[in-house]
Amino acid sequence: MRVRRLLNRLSYPVCFLMAGAAALWEFPRARTAYPRLDYLTGWLLMAAVLFLTAYNGRKKIAFLPLASSRAWLRVHAWLGMLTGLVFFLHTRWRAPSSPFELALAALFVAVTLSGLVGWGLSRILPGRLTTAGGEVPYERIPVIRRALRERAQELVLEVVPTAGTTTLADFYAARLSPFFSGPKGFASHLFGSARTLKGLLTDIDQVKMHLGDHEKSAAIELAALVREKDALDLHRSVQLVLKGWLFVHIPLTYGLLAFVAVHVVLVYSFAGGAR
Amino acid sequence: MSKSNAGLNRPKRWDFAFSDEMSDQLVDRIMQMAPFRDMDPEGFPRSAQLPDILKNDARLRVFEPGEIVVRQGDYGNSAFMVLTGSAEVVLSPGLPPRLEGRSEPKRKRWLHLLGQFIGNSREDEVVRTSSARPAGVAPSAQGTARGVILQDVPRVLSGQRTATIRERDFFGEIAALSRLPRTATILAGVQGAEMLELRWQGLRDLMRNAPQLRRFIDGIYRERALSTFLDALPFIKYLSPEAKQELMDATQFETYGEYDWSGDYKQLIKKGASAAQEPTIAVEGDYPNSVVIVRAGFGRLTQRYGNSHRTLNYLGSGKMYGFDEIAHNWREPNHHVPLQYTLRVIGYTHVVVIPAAVVERLVLPVLPKSSLPPLIPQDRRTRPRFEPAAGDAAGPRIPQDVMEFVTQGRFFNGTKTMVIDLDRCTRCDDCVRACADTHDNNPRFLRYGPIHDNLMIAEACMHCADPVCMIGCPTGAIHRDTFAGSVVVNADTCIGCSACANNCPYKAIRMVEARDADGEILVASDSNPIHKATKCDLCVDQFGGPACERACPHDALTRINLNTTHELARWLQR
Repeated sequence: MRVRRLLNRLSYPVCFLMAGAAALWEFPRARTAYPRLDYLTGWLLMAAVLFLTAYNGRKKIAFLPLASSRAWLRVHAWLGMLTGLVFFLHTRWRAPSSPFELALAALFVAVTLSGLVGWGLSRILPGRLTTAGGEVPYERIPVIRRALRERAQELVLEVVPTAGTTTLADFYAARLSPFFSGPKGFASHLFGSARTLKGLLTDIDQVKMHLGDHEKSAAIELAALVREKDALDLHRSVQLVLKGWLFVHIPLTYGLLAFVAVHVVLVYSFAGGAR
Repeated sequence: MSKSNAGLNRPKRWDFAFSDEMSDQLVDRIMQMAPFRDMDPEGFPRSAQLPDILKNDARLRVFEPGEIVVRQGDYGNSAFMVLTGSAEVVLSPGLPPRLEGRSEPKRKRWLHLLGQFIGNSREDEVVRTSSARPAGVAPSAQGTARGVILQDVPRVLSGQRTATIRERDFFGEIAALSRLPRTATILAGVQGAEMLELRWQGLRDLMRNAPQLRRFIDGIYRERALSTFLDALPFIKYLSPEAKQELMDATQFETYGEYDWSGDYKQLIKKGASAAQEPTIAVEGDYPNSVVIVRAGFGRLTQRYGNSHRTLNYLGSGKMYGFDEIAHNWREPNHHVPLQYTLRVIGYTHVVVIPAAVVERLVLPVLPKSSLPPLIPQDRRTRPRFEPAAGDAAGPRIPQDVMEFVTQGRFFNGTKTMVIDLDRCTRCDDCVRACADTHDNNPRFLRYGPIHDNLMIAEACMHCADPVCMIGCPTGAIHRDTFAGSVVVNADTCIGCSACANNCPYKAIRMVEARDADGEILVASDSNPIHKATKCDLCVDQFGGPACERACPHDALTRINLNTTHELARWLQR
């Protein structure tokens, strides 16, 4: 069982390495044998990009039995990397020589890199969400955030008449109200920092020393709400990134396809006798 | 969108009779026959009188000689009574699938599949009128639709062990009442047969209100279920027919818990139930005086641990308890061991009990040495109680905490439980979108549910081994698909009573307001909206299996059978 699992895991990288090695090995000889090899690698590149783009289409027609999305993604990832190699073979490892070529190459690199970054993020970030707990659908986050804010405000206001002081209310207005007012700590959550949370909890502990019994119990509840809100913010940040990277990767892909189409037209228009 | 569409009649139990050919004359004729003529009409409630049950929940079926009535392995929601003629039960080895005319359920055509891309409704829960007859409603009794008719029946049955069912005898009640697959293939005898087919709701009402029928059905159920069930046990093949009969005579049925256990379970959860509160069938440390085999439902195998009880495994249908200890004591008369674990009732558990003396006298002496369980090692008997279980009786290992989670939540009931690995799930909701795409833009599950560590059991129908949701359905709208056994809802016959949704312990069924094509909520003549039950149907009419599973790019979502721990263990170790 373990051997089969290992073989299954290794099959894609091994295929990728073998195909890459074969391409690198054969390329010098093929370039000598076939003067029009650039056309072949160009069309190969375009076919690969079209196939890679088709994965997005596969997602839109989930009801057709077109293999599992998991299989598509694996092929998408490894073929994407192989396409990178074909790209460099196609350009013969040369730097772009015109603004158009530069744009085309930049788009290709951006698509590839955004794909790689997305792939990495989708492997690293889900675990962080699991650890944070408080599983929540992204669309529900604003509703839950509002409910938390209202609960915190109620808690503070309820305690003012019985305590006879506004110490906790003042602290809430100065320190916690901005925190509950909207999403906070996007970058810190992304990088796994808990500084915001720790700062707030420390401040609550500090102010607790100056509170009466009623206010103290309210402060403890407030601290729990702060933790909940912090977990909610983490979910928002991480889920936003997990969803958002596709909004970079996919538009760039369509941009690349448009540039590729123009590139093909230009190549065949100006190839002259080379055809 | 709440504009009413007043004037519609709210669907009722018998809006769709089992057959529209049950005339009053036919009902009168059947009422003259035993056992119906002996039933006390006063024993039936006004809402479900005996003639009404026969008219709406029964149908007359006429079978040609050799025509297959029910097939082994199919899920059935009805029982049969032979009115004239006879039927042959194929006991073993069974007919080949080709002869039984097995075919997969109808799937959407390719054009229809492609049409979903543009044809899905923009409104929620639009009720589309179906020209097809609702599932569970019979075609014309004398209609042209014929089942599979075996040719040259004597030759086909020549290599088979068979039994004959004669007039006024019932069959099919095990599948109808236990929510289990048909246990044998039955075909009409050489003279053909005329049979009365009863939907399980009708059979249930008859048994509830006619005590003599209940006793009769209970008796045959016991006799047939036991014989069929024992045949599947590994050691039965070594017994002579006489020994098997003696074993059957000594065997007892025992039932623990409530048949409709969902309500009790919800109460237990509210109280924070623990294993110690569950009733026990046999207790660790006691002398092993019988082999207990789970027939239906599940039992929890626990071991004392500190001041509590640790779950080692859950035992489903066919799993034995106590056999290892009895075999050990028989082989080592001077070193007896007590029961190593406690067997507890989870919900509803129906068990078969074979006394140890019978096992020692009839079974163990004829078993080949290789088929005997290994001796229970000395150190195991004396090892400290806090030592982690070795996973021997627990089958393939899943972590202890996961075992507790699966057992405590009773998720083991699911045959297609949706399990999500949250460490891999990117929360992209591709699964939900795929579900919506295949169900007219209405997703049939929530990516939400109980979580333990990185495992989530989503609120999607698990297609339970013991689907308690089906118990209270008055119309049979929620039923098992006859081929795959999936639990599906027929929207045409669903009356929106919410019985299934309330019964489901896993919150996997949702009641939705039905709408017309313009998105307006359908309102009945009593001015209340019309509701329908909706749930996952495993994409039964699509190619390629559940769309949710196929749509997950990260191998984070799977639909697995939790009746045993094997699939979960394999998936966790992937």
